[in-house]
Amino acid sequence: MVNWKYSESIESSEIVNIKKKYQNYIGGKFVDPSSKKYLNTVSPSTEEILSKIPLSNQKDIDSAVKAAKTGFEKWSSITPQERSQYLFKIARLIQERSREFAVLESIDGGKPIKESRDFDLPQVAANFFYFAGWADKLDISWSAKELKPYGVVGQIIPWNFPLLMLAWKIAPALATGNTVVLKPAETTSLTALHFAELCHDAGLPAGVVNIVSGDGSTGANIVNHKDINKIAFTGSTHVGKLIQKSLAGRDVGLTLELGGKAANIVYEDAAIDQAVEGVVNGIFFNQGHVCCAGSRLLLQESIHDQFIKKLEKRMQTLRVGNPLDKNTDIGAINSKEQLDKITSLVNEGVSDGGDLFQIECELPGNGFWFRPSLFTNVQPSYSIAREEIFGPVLTTLTFRTPEEAIEIANNTEYGLSAGVWTEKGSKILWTADRLEAGVVWANTFNKFDPSSPFGGYKESGFGREGGRHGLLSYLKASL
Amino acid sequence: MIEIKKTYKNYVDGKYVRSESGKTYSVKLGNEHFELPLTSRKDIRDAVVSSKSGFKKWNSTSPYTRTQILYRLSEMLEGNRKSYLSILQNSSFTKKYAEKDFENSIQKIIWFAGLADKWEQLVGNLNPVSGEYFNISHQNPIGVVFSLNKNTISLSQLILSILPPLTVGCSVISLSNDSGLLALKFAEDINNSDLPPGVLNILSGDFTKLIDDVSKHVEISLVSIHDNLSQEAIKKIEVNASESVKRVKINPSTEGISSILPYLETKTVWHPKGT
Amino acid sequence: MSKTALKANNSKLEWVDVIEHVYESRIDAVGLNERVASLATRSIKKESKLEALNMIVSMCDLTTLEGEDTKGKISQMSAKAVKPDPGDKSIPSVAAVCVYPSLVSIAKEKVKNSNVKVAAVSSYFPSGQVPMDSKILDTKFAIEEGADEIDIVINRKAFLEGDYRKVYDEIVELKEVCKDVHLKTILEVGDLRTYENIRKASLISLAAGSDFIKTSTGKLTVGSSRQACYVMAKAVLDYELWTGVQAGIKVAGGIRDAKDAIRYLVLINEEMGDNWLTPDLFRFGASSLLDDVLKQIRKLKTGAYQASYYFPRG
Repeated sequence: MVNWKYSESIESSEIVNIKKKYQNYIGGKFVDPSSKKYLNTVSPSTEEILSKIPLSNQKDIDSAVKAAKTGFEKWSSITPQERSQYLFKIARLIQERSREFAVLESIDGGKPIKESRDFDLPQVAANFFYFAGWADKLDISWSAKELKPYGVVGQIIPWNFPLLMLAWKIAPALATGNTVVLKPAETTSLTALHFAELCHDAGLPAGVVNIVSGDGSTGANIVNHKDINKIAFTGSTHVGKLIQKSLAGRDVGLTLELGGKAANIVYEDAAIDQAVEGVVNGIFFNQGHVCCAGSRLLLQESIHDQFIKKLEKRMQTLRVGNPLDKNTDIGAINSKEQLDKITSLVNEGVSDGGDLFQIECELPGNGFWFRPSLFTNVQPSYSIAREEIFGPVLTTLTFRTPEEAIEIANNTEYGLSAGVWTEKGSKILWTADRLEAGVVWANTFNKFDPSSPFGGYKESGFGREGGRHGLLSYLKASL
Repeated sequence: MIEIKKTYKNYVDGKYVRSESGKTYSVKLGNEHFELPLTSRKDIRDAVVSSKSGFKKWNSTSPYTRTQILYRLSEMLEGNRKSYLSILQNSSFTKKYAEKDFENSIQKIIWFAGLADKWEQLVGNLNPVSGEYFNISHQNPIGVVFSLNKNTISLSQLILSILPPLTVGCSVISLSNDSGLLALKFAEDINNSDLPPGVLNILSGDFTKLIDDVSKHVEISLVSIHDNLSQEAIKKIEVNASESVKRVKINPSTEGISSILPYLETKTVWHPKGT
Repeated sequence: MSKTALKANNSKLEWVDVIEHVYESRIDAVGLNERVASLATRSIKKESKLEALNMIVSMCDLTTLEGEDTKGKISQMSAKAVKPDPGDKSIPSVAAVCVYPSLVSIAKEKVKNSNVKVAAVSSYFPSGQVPMDSKILDTKFAIEEGADEIDIVINRKAFLEGDYRKVYDEIVELKEVCKDVHLKTILEVGDLRTYENIRKASLISLAAGSDFIKTSTGKLTVGSSRQACYVMAKAVLDYELWTGVQAGIKVAGGIRDAKDAIRYLVLINEEMGDNWLTPDLFRFGASSLLDDVLKQIRKLKTGAYQASYYFPRG
């Protein structure tokens, strides 16, 4: 017997050039914020200050919206074929600069290079490719008479998949003929600001894509701007509700992609080893910073002990550490604030009476880290079973019958995603029909594709992103 | 000739009921006044309870059966053509207008009846995802829909504010004010149409007094407004709605496929393909 | 030099117990393929690579199973098994040499002063399409000739006809012949095709008393695969759960380079744990793999890519 340790295998960061200070991208120009204020952006894996990004104010948003209005005229005056070609061009440029973006994403956001390289960036390119082809086929996309873009779309995106969420927003918005003002999350703005350069290189007409960084106040300025025609937001349910409230009484379109607390139901007749993998992938992918994470494991009582044993063993093989190490499975928690939130919810789970299992591993000295965690012996009333933790923390509940599984699964205000594991086909369909969730993964989890619509039921938001259905989020209902 | 003056009641859970408040309001039809129930907060609550169970039943009814039940509704209306025409004509419409409105209503019901077993084919599709996966987007009805009828007396308008959500499997709470009498008359035909109790609840009253009760009720999934409300009222509805991410549709389309889209949730299901 | 005895699987499961598990063999192929593919993205460099390469050498069953095998060929191979790289004394001996029964005594003689074991394929390898009496005779002969380990094939005819009981009974009988001689049972995954079949055959073989389960004979175009190895690994772990016995896995057939072999090690390491990273529980059946591994070791030590003629023929 040996104790075989993998040596470090670090992806070189030489490929990416992080500037000392960034500018907004407005009307085809890189401009300093009129606020003259900046935010530090920090690497969550080292706590090192990487750069400064503009803290944009009302004036900056004014000029961005104005630029987008002008951009809309230009964008509307060219042919659908031309719009399509611009998007294809962007898709290609992303593929060409993919490694650079992947490394930057891992440095700035803390996610493992394995994921930014093999998941985020390929999906970013795929989204632009997919929607590029829709731009000149809107007339045959839905059996409807008239499809019209909204005009200027304000887009506010989260920090968990910074560039991918940008792609989910910008690609369909542009394909449907809108122009955008996009605000990346304040902790993860760098890839969006580099993407601005890419738009510039692609020769995209001025004002079609405007990228402004900032904090919550910047986002509020976008939402409250009088010339915004539509808001697309991905983030917490709390903020989503505030946005919906802010837009009340105004003729502004809105799509919301909010939180989740997905049930991942494992029946006793599942392919257990694949279910264990699916459960691990469901909650530990991207440090659990995933709105559709399978954060509630629903186990049939008859397999509980066996399953938990296998799950704990599998969890122990997860490698936590430097996001740029190619062998890292779990990177850094995105921010101190998020780490504190996770820690406090986990502490509450323990004091409520849940049994906590955490893997044994060394954590780096600097940066924000959290050990992959599993709660068993949890009652449905505990906060860890109800609130979105948005971290590498899985909560286990048990059920006896399929009916009971459905009741527990739907006993939440959220309805974004769900998982079901059984080798019995009819039980999959029966279960999928009854789950109140926008995405149901059967015998798999956390799968994404540009052609596959994504979005929630209930308080997980409304509207869909991706696929043919995703087009409707950016076309006025005057169909 | 109009039938003998009678007491109109709300139609909730398959039964004709007075408002629990005991309050009524008066509408004029021809030379006569009728008292209609003034729906209260508690009536809304009862209607939602009924609609929730109605939704379960209706959603598990086969599309083919839904088509037949909706078609039967048109037959019931046809059998009562005279009463509808007299209500419309007594509401100071010409005979020609009344006939046209009635004819239109029958046509619309039949159109939606025939859509009940087809719409999923028009709005859902397979998605060509990469990898060894079967991936399909299909639709579920959103749940309990509250629909505010337009405040003009028109049978076809009433039908169009109800049928789109009903067709896709939602249960509907319909509230009418000035057009309340026509709506409650319509309720009588529903009872003979085999529509399960709770699927369609029909109420009369003053929406402006019920805004909070409706738009704050978490178990109403969607509020659709077919009337012209003040900006202030709309804002109030939408502010309330934001507390539970409730969907609000202001004057949604009642034509074609776009008429049903607001009442649908897209559900995408993935499954691996392997041996 | 005395040879350390390998752990034996002495906790045979009765047929009634095993059949229940066999029929509960549920595997999702797509999920399994994805997991195996994701394990292949591990980046094994520097010291961890050298360590892996040395492990691979020590886990090799250096094999020749040809009609043209002669005394000379077996002698050459056995010498190489003991000292794989005469130029580098730090490199361990391989685990075993694997030959036909009639050549066991020659191999035995050549490895006698080392820890290298001699394995013989029997039970009418590779097809096994003979009466049971013949399989028993074949196996007895190999043991009498001095084999430390016996590699048998399962009855695929019976398996594919659905006669799982026959497959089980035959292995039980051969195990009785083998007694303490290490029994490795070849599933021939290329004939079984589906992952469920591989799992079923694994469980049957383990329950019948096999000390090792082995992927392939190396005689089919479809040899070992990491996917098949994964299925077998999970079956071995479940068997451990039920009986407490840790059985071994041998992968053979088509593993030609160090890179591929390292991926197998990663799979075993992460799915089973480093308990299994020992020649007692994990083996590579190989002929050409060893040379590539030796080349890679020298490349790591010298920084230069190597030519075949630096290494002796096996």
